[in-house]
Amino acid sequence: MNIKNLTNGLFKENPIFVQLLGMCPTLAVTTSAMNGVGMGLATTSVLVCSNMAISLLRKVIPAKVRIPAFIVVIATFVSIVGMVMEGFVPALFNALGLFIPLIVVNCIILARAESFASKNSIMDSMLDGLGMGLGFTIALTILGSVRELFGNGSIFGVSIFGAAYKPALIMILPPGAFLALGILLAIYNQAQMKKAR
Amino acid sequence: MKDIFKTGIILFIICAVAAFALAMTNEGTKDQIALQRQLANDAAKAAVLPSASSFEDLDEAQNAEVSEKFAPVAEGYIGYDADHNIVGYVFKSLPTGFGGAVEVVTGIDVEGTVTGMRMGNHQETPGLGARAKEPLFYEQYNGMSASDHIGVAKSNPTETDIQAITGATISSAAITSGVNASIDAYHFIMGN
Repeated sequence: MNIKNLTNGLFKENPIFVQLLGMCPTLAVTTSAMNGVGMGLATTSVLVCSNMAISLLRKVIPAKVRIPAFIVVIATFVSIVGMVMEGFVPALFNALGLFIPLIVVNCIILARAESFASKNSIMDSMLDGLGMGLGFTIALTILGSVRELFGNGSIFGVSIFGAAYKPALIMILPPGAFLALGILLAIYNQAQMKKAR
Repeated sequence: MKDIFKTGIILFIICAVAAFALAMTNEGTKDQIALQRQLANDAAKAAVLPSASSFEDLDEAQNAEVSEKFAPVAEGYIGYDADHNIVGYVFKSLPTGFGGAVEVVTGIDVEGTVTGMRMGNHQETPGLGARAKEPLFYEQYNGMSASDHIGVAKSNPTETDIQAITGATISSAAITSGVNASIDAYHFIMGN
């Protein structure tokens, strides 16, 4: 067990800002900070479960069929999370309903299964899943906050700029996702380069 | 050859276990999910027709006739008070908005007053058409007379108009068309 596996995903190998994984749900759902948090946490729970299951099965799954096997495992966990959520926490399901099936096609999960969980022990895989998931959540929350702030004048629904602010609607429309992500990536890289020097 | 067989068996077992796990989860949650959907559905109906305490679907033949004649109306429900008297009707309609079908739930009481409107599932633009979810917009329909169609005005609405959402005239008009179709369906049912 190595605690570094947990912290890796948060900053050094952040799935969004460094690995640029899972762009499709990232761009689509981050119209508000709350959506970012919800999508991030739902993905984290699936990532932790699927990483553990795949690590457990890593000696059983033949290399030739590992991708279909991974997909089956991931899709199973997503469906279970979806059903349980709809039955017992409908309020959360209503807010996230659309995003839950999207988790299956989130390539972060497949990428971690392939590049980490299939080669490492179950505890390490769990930490990796948790770290990557939280890194994803942090990134989505920042992206969602920036877009909500400029596109709607609020963060987490709390008005920041006041009623007089005329929101730049483009920020919560699809082009705003690219603009915000590009600028955030530039800031992140700038900070990294400064650190390296 | 042997390798293919073994690989296939393992993949089959993984799938079988996954299918079993899903079947068990489904078995354990399906009643609960049905209950939650029912509750959500009832809550939407109760919101647009507050005087009703229980709802029943229109009978099948009538529902088919209404949805055929008064598209985009899709479904109708009868609202009853505690003594099982009919107090009004609720219609679900699916007019086409800016981003596809918009679910509009409209309540009309037996006195011929629109008692409420809510937008359900939709793909309208966030910050524009999606603002029809805000009370400021949907409360405009409360108390409107169902004796005539409701109009949409960009500014200075008259008594029979609602004020469109700024920048989202198409969404506002679509929702209003759903309400108007519901008004037609209501008169049809009341006439029978």
